[in-house]
Amino acid sequence: MNKIWLIVRKEWREVSRDKMILWTSLLLPLLFVGMTIGTVYFMQRTAASNPAAAMDDASEMNIDQLMLLPEFAGMDPFTIMIVLLVNQFLLYYLLLPLMIPMFVAVYSIIGEKQQRTLEPLLATPISVIELLTGKMLAGVIPATVLTWASYGVTILLAYFLTTPEILRVMLSPVWLLSIFLLAPLLSVTAVTVGVIISSRVNDVRLAEQLGGTLVLPLVAITIPIMMGKLLMSGEMIALASLAVALLDVALLYVGVQLFQRETILTRWK
Amino acid sequence: MIVTKGLTRQFSPRRGSEIVAVDHLNLEIQRGEIFGLLGPNGAGKTTTVRMLSCLIAPSSGEAHVGGQAVGQDDRQIRRIVGLLTESPGLYEKLDAYTNLAFYANLYEVQDVERQVKRYLDMLGLWGRHREPVVGFSKGMKQKLAIARALIHEPQVLYLDEPTAALDPEAAKTVRDFVEELKVEGRTILLCTHNLDEAERLCDRIAVLKTRLIAVDTPSNLRRRIFGRRAQVRLRQVTPEMVDAVRALPSVHGVEQADSQLYISLDDPDAATPLIVRRLVELGGEIQQVTEQTHSLEETYLSLIKEAQ
Repeated sequence: MNKIWLIVRKEWREVSRDKMILWTSLLLPLLFVGMTIGTVYFMQRTAASNPAAAMDDASEMNIDQLMLLPEFAGMDPFTIMIVLLVNQFLLYYLLLPLMIPMFVAVYSIIGEKQQRTLEPLLATPISVIELLTGKMLAGVIPATVLTWASYGVTILLAYFLTTPEILRVMLSPVWLLSIFLLAPLLSVTAVTVGVIISSRVNDVRLAEQLGGTLVLPLVAITIPIMMGKLLMSGEMIALASLAVALLDVALLYVGVQLFQRETILTRWK
Repeated sequence: MIVTKGLTRQFSPRRGSEIVAVDHLNLEIQRGEIFGLLGPNGAGKTTTVRMLSCLIAPSSGEAHVGGQAVGQDDRQIRRIVGLLTESPGLYEKLDAYTNLAFYANLYEVQDVERQVKRYLDMLGLWGRHREPVVGFSKGMKQKLAIARALIHEPQVLYLDEPTAALDPEAAKTVRDFVEELKVEGRTILLCTHNLDEAERLCDRIAVLKTRLIAVDTPSNLRRRIFGRRAQVRLRQVTPEMVDAVRALPSVHGVEQADSQLYISLDDPDAATPLIVRRLVELGGEIQQVTEQTHSLEETYLSLIKEAQ
């Protein structure tokens, strides 16, 4: 059996026995799907029952200028407000590939350190690249699959519960590039940062807290998006993906340097 | 089977400072031999095992395991070597079977299921093979770790403190199992602080304290340090008896303590009858004649003291 796949399967077996990580990984996507569709659905229902009040709320957000932009051509202020909100939710979907692999990577490596399993593992004929790849894939695969599955469920629910305009936004290049390109790249960032942090820290919670700072830029960016000050475009997501890919290469280089047999046994704390 | 020449390892814990963990170690361990590595904490035993397992690289010198060069044929060496680390290092949330099957697959064992069952059976763990390891006793964990080290049928086995922290019964089980492995003809390098264990199991012993202090069989080491002495208890010892014994060939010296004589000599088997005959001729009433032995612990402590 392929050694990388052996490591992946072993990691999943171990993680599946940790109810905390398992439930967090499953509940987060459900929460984000529920928040996205629920918020849009109930806002639309409220607006349908009282259109004047909805328009007033939207007008308070100074959306008039946005109405002049081609992205929002033909949309009323309320729909523009919903679109801004939906795009903000997109960032939540990008939290999944940042958080889930971080949990898995941190748990996996600190778990190995705490159980002192690294030395016998490193004494086998596995290469450190196979070991590192296995550990990374164990985090990247579920994070990517859960992100894509959450997106799929969101699209399905949006088709039945929201308007064609909202569905169109969710199927725009911004969403598609984010989900299918940026999300896997972010999961690689998260897992690599998890590996780097885990090499210096022996406490899972501390490592998770340190790794948690990775989501701060993403959370910070939601504010200007919600206020209509920053409009996401396909080009912007493509550029962001390129930047993250370059960051991943740099982080992977550091990760590979740290993940050498000798370094692990003599320098890791 | 294992040969080291000038094997040295230095560490640099801080910039500018260097610690020599192993200094010019020369060893030659034969196929099928159980070789003990004794030394105080920090003597370089674990570092030696790590170098021979291709886990860390030597700073200088060379080592060969099963004819393969450390630093060049590392992957090949890892295939023929089994390692039992100081702590069992098991995946505690996984069951015993999964732990072993994972390693069997990593070592590309052909019939994983059969091999895992064989070792779990042999070590009396098959009845609990589907239980998470976290619920196992220390002895059971150690047995499982030994099974893991053997799962790929290695020619060479490194055992680092195999009975440390085990209760006497579990320690005996592990020692008995190591003796069985000796019968199978595996080469075993045993790092231990337990001198009784080393004496019982090892064909030869190396005393290490960064440098190699001594290497030989336990009995030869004893002889080298303390020589051989006969102890004779008489009803009464006279000065003539002491002088007469001292004058015998192959006797190096005689000490008297009350009614006992301690006689240093080369070959007790040949000299003792002569001593007995002479003492009887002088009217000595002999109550007991024994060869005085020193424990391996005394020998070890003496060697370590000499090295200081």
